[in-house]
Amino acid sequence: MGLDGNSKAGITGTINQKKSETEVPNLTGKVHLLPCCIKYDGPSAVSHYFKPKPTGVEVEEMKVEEAHFRGRKLQGATLAIPNGYSGFVIGKKSLGKRKSSDMSEQNSNTWEITAKFENITYWNHDSLPSKVDAFVRSLHWLSVAEALHKPAAAEDLASASIALEKKR
Amino acid sequence: MESESILPDWASKPCIMGIDEAGRGPVLGPMVYGCLYCARSYEKTLSTLKFADSKTLKEEKREELFEKLKANELIGWAVDVIDPRELSAKMLKKIKINLNEISHDSASGLVTRVLNMGVLLTDVYVDTVGDPEKYRIKLSERFPSIKFVVAKKADSLYPVVSGASIVAKVTRDRALRDWVLDETAENMTRNFGSGYPGDPETKSWLEKHQHSVFGFPSLVRFSWGTCTSYSKNMVEVVWESDKTEEDGSSSSSGKRQLKLSSFGVTTSKRKSEEIESSGKSRCKFFQARKLEQLANF
Repeated sequence: MGLDGNSKAGITGTINQKKSETEVPNLTGKVHLLPCCIKYDGPSAVSHYFKPKPTGVEVEEMKVEEAHFRGRKLQGATLAIPNGYSGFVIGKKSLGKRKSSDMSEQNSNTWEITAKFENITYWNHDSLPSKVDAFVRSLHWLSVAEALHKPAAAEDLASASIALEKKR
Repeated sequence: MESESILPDWASKPCIMGIDEAGRGPVLGPMVYGCLYCARSYEKTLSTLKFADSKTLKEEKREELFEKLKANELIGWAVDVIDPRELSAKMLKKIKINLNEISHDSASGLVTRVLNMGVLLTDVYVDTVGDPEKYRIKLSERFPSIKFVVAKKADSLYPVVSGASIVAKVTRDRALRDWVLDETAENMTRNFGSGYPGDPETKSWLEKHQHSVFGFPSLVRFSWGTCTSYSKNMVEVVWESDKTEEDGSSSSSGKRQLKLSSFGVTTSKRKSEEIESSGKSRCKFFQARKLEQLANF
């Protein structure tokens, strides 16, 4: 599948989905979004140090989990990636393996899937997870985008014009 | 943890109680508040039991005295064990709670617990944390029916506080001895030493158990100044909450600002780095959801 970005903003990239989904590691239950920036990029013994625990508390239909990072108490919840979508970890193809002819056109903006996941645990520092948290709300974009890009059906147009008429 | 739940007869007569803490200074492990109470009429006998300030006693002697007082039906006791994770978390909250406040709350909690058991407390002796007079006023306001004596070195002045110090110290020592590390990385040892920052054994344990990303095992009190000296070996971590506070500091008092910037645990270089997407200059829908459009990645 090719993924065409907004050409106006100059985003063009390709995500190579050649690797079948069963080949890449499944990180479901292991993807965490922390309320901090860790200035490090690389492997770490996460599961030995980061130990989320269920609290038994439930707020706004979210099961609250608790963990500690660098002495701070984090409260979080695990959200499923919405139906019809999947989470992927993508990485740039290593340049060494590629022939120079490959990278001509798109300036090697080619990505490949290195892992997939079906949920994300997001964490707040000091506050309970809530439906008004930016991350929970960011997922709204998916349904908004779907509505925006769906071809308009005849009845939608009709009802829209009726609504417009009424406004006048 | 506390003594037997059946209320003894003497508890309905006027009682005295002592409160003391153990493990306030150490960089790791729990802080323990302990209390010991008895009928006022038992006070004289209590002073013959040779409870001295726990620090002047050897560990075996403390253990022995603790077992003795546990067996004594004319004495009641209770402890509040404050987990190091709780200490770090409170002291690193968005609105920080300092150690004195945590200590005061723990002592108050013990008074409440003993009162709720039905013990008629009339006099409570407390080893001070911070200014004794301010602390006394705070406690007296919370518990108007009780006469509080708050003093420095109360643990060596009042036998009932000496007893409380033994309860606290033995509980803290046992808690550390039996501590099960939450972390499961290999080569972790439990040679914590006393936990005091100056203890060579503690120093070498900290040295060996530091982790560039996670800092330390959660037994360690991250909010302690001792930890800051290791931060150069660690990956920098910038917190959203710290950033928000700094951004908002123009409206808060200068004093608060100073306090925050002198808090060196996280980072010294916050500046205006973007640590999360913002959705700035996009329409409200995106701003509220911090959805940014990425042009380069």
